[in-house]
Amino acid sequence: MYEYVLSPEQDVVISSRVRLSRNYEDLPFSPKLTREYAEEVIERTADAVFKMETGASFTLLRMSELEEDARSRLVEHHLISYDLLKFVNRSAAMVTSSGTVSVMLNEEDHVRFQGLLPGLQLERAAEMALKLDESLGNRYPFAFDHQWGFLTACPANTGTGMRASVILHLPAISGSGQMGAVMQTVAKLGLTIRGLYGEGSEAQGNLYQLSNQATLGRSEEDVIRSLSAATAQIVEHERSMRENAEKRDMLQLQDSLMRSWGELMYARLMTVKEFMSRYSDIRYAASMGYLHAPLPGLDALMMDLQPGSLGVRAGKLISPRESEILRAKLLREELQKLVSD
Amino acid sequence: MMCEDCGIRPAKFHLMTIINGDRVERNLCPICMAKHQKQIPGIDFSNLAGILNSILENKGREEDEADGEELEGYVCEQCGMTYVEFQKCGMLGCANCYQAFKTPMTALLQRVHGNTQHAGRVPGGVRNGTSIRMNIDRLKQKLQKAIADEEYEQAAKLRDTIRALTAQLERKESTIKVKPKEQLDGDGREGADADV
Repeated sequence: MYEYVLSPEQDVVISSRVRLSRNYEDLPFSPKLTREYAEEVIERTADAVFKMETGASFTLLRMSELEEDARSRLVEHHLISYDLLKFVNRSAAMVTSSGTVSVMLNEEDHVRFQGLLPGLQLERAAEMALKLDESLGNRYPFAFDHQWGFLTACPANTGTGMRASVILHLPAISGSGQMGAVMQTVAKLGLTIRGLYGEGSEAQGNLYQLSNQATLGRSEEDVIRSLSAATAQIVEHERSMRENAEKRDMLQLQDSLMRSWGELMYARLMTVKEFMSRYSDIRYAASMGYLHAPLPGLDALMMDLQPGSLGVRAGKLISPRESEILRAKLLREELQKLVSD
Repeated sequence: MMCEDCGIRPAKFHLMTIINGDRVERNLCPICMAKHQKQIPGIDFSNLAGILNSILENKGREEDEADGEELEGYVCEQCGMTYVEFQKCGMLGCANCYQAFKTPMTALLQRVHGNTQHAGRVPGGVRNGTSIRMNIDRLKQKLQKAIADEEYEQAAKLRDTIRALTAQLERKESTIKVKPKEQLDGDGREGADADV
């Protein structure tokens, strides 16, 4: 009997994330933030986080003290945003070993709390982020206005300061050319969907991020509820598209997906672009039961083989060719382990 | 037309991208356009965007001149940020900027969010009575729904809760100076008495 633990809707939803943006009411915002004030943000936040009940599990990482690959690794594992690296001289992050909660410091806003969980678990991710918000806000007050809610550096986040999002794997919808229709539908619900790797550009690995757009005028619960509902509908649609593809010609579907398994197992050079497209195929195959590989393991491997994470693993600066060789080598070893476990 | 990404600056570009064979079209300002372009792997558009940006800025300046004159007067006395500066970088300088730019900010928030009233959590719970006021607003909405659904027993309960909370708020406001008291009282009674 083949078994592994799956999070809710993990065949389609890779992860759920909730981010809250906050600013200390007495300190200047990003454009006017001097080194001294930025340091004050880090000191206050670290003080408050470390004094929390679970404070001991957090590590403070100053971006200026990390190697480039280590920074990229944090982005690739979704612990920090790419934007945090725009402010390397002043920015920092507080992370836990499990990676489920993290705090970004001195990005666009003073503090951004994040809850991140596998599968569709937006409520729990929100709870995690809101708990951090409460613990910190009680100690040092955040900028808040009765009419406009939490005040953020960019007015696009004002109100709840909350961005909730899910990462979706949509090979069947995407393959049938229906992404345009999905995009238009979610826009009507006040949501936005885009390719995960690269805004507006291609969606590598058929991975998409669905998130709320407005932050003013709706409660946190309301936004989470509607995002969860929209996600559930997309999940249903993706599943039925997968089933249809199977009904149409199962052998053809298996053949095209499992060929990618062959490529991944035997290739000697693997670019990240090719890897993402093959990963999408074997993830699809695993979700249909053609391939006995655990989805959480595949997703973890996908993040570990991104350029920055690979560099961290190599432990030194590597050339593009060296990284292609290392990616292919690790794939052979890790995939073998995943299917034999 | 405003930029569909930031909602802050006027859209000057029409960006069409093909994502896995699907066409997606967006209207963007030069800054957001540059962001999108930088994310197309393998091609460095940053220079091109810079050139386009400077051309369009000149063109845009003429168009926005009328607006610009009006907005030039807004300066935040706390951090020194001007509204014009804010329009360029898209970020405010401090919490006080929101008050300093209140008039254009209200219009901007309406455009970006389709709303200008926060409906979410408040810090520190009952501080300043804010959470009570929001609770009352929420309950009023429930009350209206209960009346519409002809659930009168439920509506009566809600009416009593709203009255109790309004009284609580009044007591708070007699110690803290807060303006919209009469407004709240008026609405409360009207909503509570109707049809119940």
